[in-house]
Amino acid sequence: MTAINVYNQRPADIAGQSPLHHAGFEQLIGKGRPNAGVRLRERKLLGHLTLRGDAKDPAFCGGVHQALGLELPVALGLVAKGETSLQWMGPDEWLLIVPRGEEYATELRLREALAGQHIQVVNVSGGQTILELKGDKVRDMLMKSTSYDVHPDNFPVGKAVGTVFAKSQLVIRHTAENTWELLVRRSFADYIWLWLQDACAEYGLAIEA
Amino acid sequence: MSQVNRLSRGGRVDRSQPLTFTFNGQRYQGFAGDTLAAALLANGVDVVGRSFKYSRPRGIVAAGAEEPNAVIQLGSREATQVPNVRATQQALYDGLVASSTNGWPNVDTDLMGLVGKVGGQMMPPGFYYKTFMFPQSMWPTYEKYIRKAAGLGRAPTENDPDSYDLINRHCDVLVIGAGPAGLAAALAAARSGARVILADEQEEFGGSLLDTRETLNGKPAAEWIEQVLAELKTFPEVLLLPRATVNGYHDHNFLTIHERCTDHLGETAPLGAFAHKPVRQRLHRVRAKRVVLAVGAHERPLVFANNDVPGNMLAGAVSTYVRRYGVAPGKQLVLATNNDYAYRTVLDWLDAGLQVVAVADARSNPRGAWVEEARSRGVRILTGSSVVEVRGSKRVKAARIAAIDTRSHRVTSPGEWLECDLVASSGGYSPVVHLASHLGGKPTWREDILAFVPGDGLGLQARVCAGAVNGVFALGTVIADGYSAGSKAATDAGFKAVNGKLPRAEERREEATLALFHVPHDKPTARAPKQFVDLQNDVTAAGIELATREGFESVEHVKRYTALGFGTDQGKLGNINGLAIAARSLGISIPQMGTTMFRPNYTPVSFGAIAGRNCGPLFDAKRFTALHAWHVKNGALFEDVGQWKRPWYFPKPGEDLHSAVARECLAVRSSVGLLDASTLGKIDIQGPDAREFLNRVYTNAWTKLDVGKARYGLMCKEDGMVFDDGVTACLADNHFLMTTTTGGAARVLQWLELYHQTEWPELKVYFTSVTDHWATLTLSGPNSRKLLAEVTDIDLDKDRFPFMTWQEGKVAGVPARVFRISFTGELSYEVNIQADYAMGVLEKLAEAGKKYNLTPYGTETMHVLRAEKGFIIVGQETDSTVTPDDLNMGWCVGRTKPFSWIGWRGMNREDARREGRKQLVGLRTVDPNQVLPEGTQLVFDPKQPKPMQMAGHVTSSYQSASLGHSVALALVKGGLSKLGQKVYAPCRDGRLIEAEIVSSVFYDPKGDRQNI
Repeated sequence: MTAINVYNQRPADIAGQSPLHHAGFEQLIGKGRPNAGVRLRERKLLGHLTLRGDAKDPAFCGGVHQALGLELPVALGLVAKGETSLQWMGPDEWLLIVPRGEEYATELRLREALAGQHIQVVNVSGGQTILELKGDKVRDMLMKSTSYDVHPDNFPVGKAVGTVFAKSQLVIRHTAENTWELLVRRSFADYIWLWLQDACAEYGLAIEA
Repeated sequence: MSQVNRLSRGGRVDRSQPLTFTFNGQRYQGFAGDTLAAALLANGVDVVGRSFKYSRPRGIVAAGAEEPNAVIQLGSREATQVPNVRATQQALYDGLVASSTNGWPNVDTDLMGLVGKVGGQMMPPGFYYKTFMFPQSMWPTYEKYIRKAAGLGRAPTENDPDSYDLINRHCDVLVIGAGPAGLAAALAAARSGARVILADEQEEFGGSLLDTRETLNGKPAAEWIEQVLAELKTFPEVLLLPRATVNGYHDHNFLTIHERCTDHLGETAPLGAFAHKPVRQRLHRVRAKRVVLAVGAHERPLVFANNDVPGNMLAGAVSTYVRRYGVAPGKQLVLATNNDYAYRTVLDWLDAGLQVVAVADARSNPRGAWVEEARSRGVRILTGSSVVEVRGSKRVKAARIAAIDTRSHRVTSPGEWLECDLVASSGGYSPVVHLASHLGGKPTWREDILAFVPGDGLGLQARVCAGAVNGVFALGTVIADGYSAGSKAATDAGFKAVNGKLPRAEERREEATLALFHVPHDKPTARAPKQFVDLQNDVTAAGIELATREGFESVEHVKRYTALGFGTDQGKLGNINGLAIAARSLGISIPQMGTTMFRPNYTPVSFGAIAGRNCGPLFDAKRFTALHAWHVKNGALFEDVGQWKRPWYFPKPGEDLHSAVARECLAVRSSVGLLDASTLGKIDIQGPDAREFLNRVYTNAWTKLDVGKARYGLMCKEDGMVFDDGVTACLADNHFLMTTTTGGAARVLQWLELYHQTEWPELKVYFTSVTDHWATLTLSGPNSRKLLAEVTDIDLDKDRFPFMTWQEGKVAGVPARVFRISFTGELSYEVNIQADYAMGVLEKLAEAGKKYNLTPYGTETMHVLRAEKGFIIVGQETDSTVTPDDLNMGWCVGRTKPFSWIGWRGMNREDARREGRKQLVGLRTVDPNQVLPEGTQLVFDPKQPKPMQMAGHVTSSYQSASLGHSVALALVKGGLSKLGQKVYAPCRDGRLIEAEIVSSVFYDPKGDRQNI
C-alpha cells in the first residue's frame, strides 16, 4: 500500500458543492411546466472512481468481482447493483460509482483484492457529476445534442457511450427505459446545464428532487 | 382586393380562409393553401422583379424551386427580414409582407431600366472581369452599387427573434421527394420495418400528383396520396418531414435537410403552449444507410426571343397553378412544345373554361394520345413550328409562331403573330441531378430522353434513384420504380422487402421528344431580340455564343464568364439549354460539353438554421472552476484561457487594469495574495514504471526524486522543442501527480497515452486526468505561512516542510494536499482540495486573511510576477522553435540519462546547437517607464537601411510595480552572449525604444524569497 498514496479526501462533516450548486436546483423543483417532456435530477456528490487494469487477466476480473460483487462490463457496457454501478470507459478503463462517502473504503477494498497487480484506482469524485434525465422527450433532446444514434436499437438500456455533446464531450448512459444519465465534467457542467435548458425549451423541462 | 385570375372552383386552396398580404406596399388577398406566387398570380401581378443586368421586368415563370424571377425579400420589420425567398416556395400566411429583391427603387419604374436598355453594349458577358476588376481598388465602390442594383437581397441588421435547431438523425432509408416515386419507395421501405425518413420540400406531400390530370385506380391521384400517408403514419419508425428540403448530399451518406417548421404560419414562430416560442427551422443532420433519390425532374423552357417578358411560363407551372391553386395566370394561352406531356397544359386550360389560341409543336407529325385529345377538342396545332418571338414589355401581348428547321437551325417561314397573354413553353424534362452530383459524380447523358440522369456517384453515394430523376416518366412505371427502389434500399440496409399491390395508372400513347433547346430566329442570335437562357443571371443565347467565340470552351469557363447557373438558380432552369447552345456553337455534342459541378446547397439555407442553438451564450463551451462564484462576487474580470474563464484581475472601484495589477503585485510581494490555480492540468500517474516513464517524457531526470518531493520539468516534442512544462510530485513510490499548463492539459495526457500505447506498452503505468477533481488555491507572499498556519493542522516549519515538497493534512477542516511550489518567487503554498469542498476552504482563508490584507489576484498579476522572476510561459516565451538551451534552461536537461528520452536527439541536431540561435534574455528599457509592446521586433542597429536585419522579438513585457521599472523577456539572436549590449525596438507607431540586454531574472536572482 505504501507504493500508492491513498487518503480520504472527503470531509465527513462539511457539506459539499456539486458542480451545479450555483444553479440552485432545490429552488427550481416543481416550477417547470406540467407534464414536461424532460425531467432532470442531479445525482450529486457521489463517489466516482476510475479503475484501470488488464481485462484479459482473470486475476484482475476476479479481484474486481470479489471487491464489488460486479462483473467487469465489456465494451460500452454498464452494470449496476443497487446504488453502485460499473461502466466500461475504454479497453483498460472503467468508471465505478458508489454512494457518497463510500469511495475511500471502496478504493481500499479494491486495492486489497487486487494487491500485487498493476492497476490504477483514482478518486475523481470532485471532477464530475451525473444528471439524470427522464421523460418521453429525452431522446429528442439527445438527438439535438449528439451525433451518436440514441435509438434503442442502437442504444439499449445498459449501454453507455462517451461522445460529442453540443460543443463538448460527456458520457451518455441509458439506465432504464426513458431514463438516461449524463456524466458531466465539473468545469463543463454550467455549459451543459445552459444547453439543456435551451434544447429542452420546446418540450418543457422540470427539475426533480 | 379582387383576385382577378382566381378560378371559381378547383385547386387545393381553401376559399373559406382568405388571407391578406402585402407585396411592394400593395395589399392583396389570397387563400389558405396558396403559395405567395400563386396568390400574386391570382391578383394579376405580372411584374415581380427586375432583372439582374438589363433591369427588364420579370414575372413568375415556375411553380417550384426552379423559379428564377420571383426571388423576394420577406419580412414586415427589420428583425424579420429574410432575403432570397422564392415566392413559389413560400406558403401564404395572413399578414405576409414581401417586396421585390430586384428593382431599385421599384419594379414598375426602375431607374436601372435606362441602363438596361443600352445594357447590351454596357454589360456584355464577362462584364465583371472586363470592366470592374481594373482598377482593383475601385471594386469595393462598384460592388456596392452593383449589388444593390442587382438585388441580391439583404440580411437583417437586428437580432433574429426566432430560435433554430440542429438535430441528428439516423435512418436505414432516407427517401428524398414525396411524389409518386418517393411515396411508393417510402411505403416499400416502411413495410420492411426499416427506419425511414421521407422528406419533401413542398407544403404537402404528393409532388406531381398534386396537380396531375391522371388517375390512379380510376380515382383522383390525391386519394392515393392520402392512403399512402395514412399507412406510413402507422409505422412508428417512419418520420414524415414536409417543408423539408434535402439541400446537401455529403460524404458517408450524410445529408442535410432544411426543415421550415413555422415559416408557413408567420414571419416569426407563433407563441405556443406555455408562452413558448417553437423552433422556427431545423437543420436535420442525417446519417442514412441508404438513400432513395426521388427528386423528380424540372421542365426546361424553350429559348426564344423575348422569352422573359412576364406571361412567359413553364407549361407545367401553368398546369400547377390551374389545377392545384385554382389560378389562371392569363386568359389566352399559346403553348410551345417539343413533347407530348406538355399537352396536359392545354387540356387543363380547356377544362378550366379558358381559351387556347394555338399550340406550336416543333415535331412534324405528333400523334400522341393527349395531342389527339387536344386536336379533337378543337385546339389549333401548328406542327414543325415554334414560338420564335414574343411581343410585350410588362406582359405578353402576342407571340409569333413560325415554321422552323431544327437541323439547319433556321426559321423557314415568316410565321404568324397571334394575340395572346400567356406563352407556356416546354422543352423537355431534366432530371434533378443536383444531389446525385454533390460528391463530384458526373451525370450521364441519355439521348433517348434528351437529358442527363445521375451517374454512378463515384461509388460515394449509397443511393437508389427512382422515378423521373431516373429517366422514368410514365406514372405507372414511376410508382413501380419507386416501390422497387424502396425495396432495394431496405434490402441493402439489411431488411426483408415486402411485396405490395401498386395502383393502376392509365396507359397512354406518348411519342418521343424532339431535340430543341434554342429556337432559331430570322436574325442571327447576336442581332435577334434577347433570347434568355438563365433568367436569374440575365444570360442570353447570344452571350453564350459570344463566350465560345472568345475562346471559352470548357463548360466551367463558360459558366464563370457568363454567370450561367449562378445565384440561387444553381443550374436548375437554364443549365441544359446553356450547355446545348455552347455545344452547338462549338460543334460538339451535349455530353461532350458536360455539366458544371453541382454543390450544396440545393436551395438557400438561412444562417439561423446552420447555426442552430450554437449562438449567443452557447456559441462555445465555457469552463468554470469551483470557485467561480467567489470570483464574481469579489469583482473579478475574466480572461479566456482556452475555454476556461479565469480571473484576469480584481479591480477595486476606480481602478483600471494597470493600477489594479500594480496593487495586486505589491500585495503579493509585501504580504500575501491568493490565486485560483484550478485550471492547471493535473494527471494522476500510477504504476511501477511511472518513474521511468517520467524520465522518458521529461527532459530532466526523475530517478532520484524522493517520495514527498516535487520537481519542475520540461517536455519537448521529438524535435527537441519545448511544448509543455509543469511541476510533478512524487506521492508514493509508484504514484506521481503531474501538473501541466492550463491549455496543454488534454494535449499532454494524449501525448502520454500515445507514447505509452504505441512506443512503450511494456512500461507498467496508467494515467488519469484529475484536473476537474482538484481545486487548487495558491497562497503566495511572505505572510502565506502565517495565514495558512491559522487554518491547517499541517506543520509548516520551514525545515519540516521545505520548498519543493508536499504535505497532507487538513485545511479549513478539509483533507488537503499542500505543495510548496512557487510561480511568483515568493513563499507559496498550493492547496489542493476535492473541488466539491473548495468554496468553504476559500471562504475560511479569505476570512482569516483579512488581517494580512489577503489579496485575490488574477492571470495578469501572475504574468507580471513570474516575468519579474524570468519564469517562462509555454506558448508565450516558446513557439515550437525553442529548445531548453535557448531558454537558458540547460539545468533542466538530463544529459546523462540512459534512455534516449523524447527530444534528446532533436535538440542535438546541428541546427539546434549552432551559435546565434535566438535565446531568452531580459530587456531593460533605458527609459524605465517605457513598456515594450509584446511581439515587437528587435534590431541591433536602428540606423541600418530597410529592410532591417531582425535580431529577435519581445515575448513578454510589463510595468513592474515592485521594481519601479518595466521588465521584458525577449528571444534575441545570441542574446546570452550579449548581456549589457543594446537592442532597439522600432515600433509601429514610430517610436524607437532603446533597451539593454540583461539577465531574464529581474527579481530576487538568488531565489531567497521562495525558499525560506
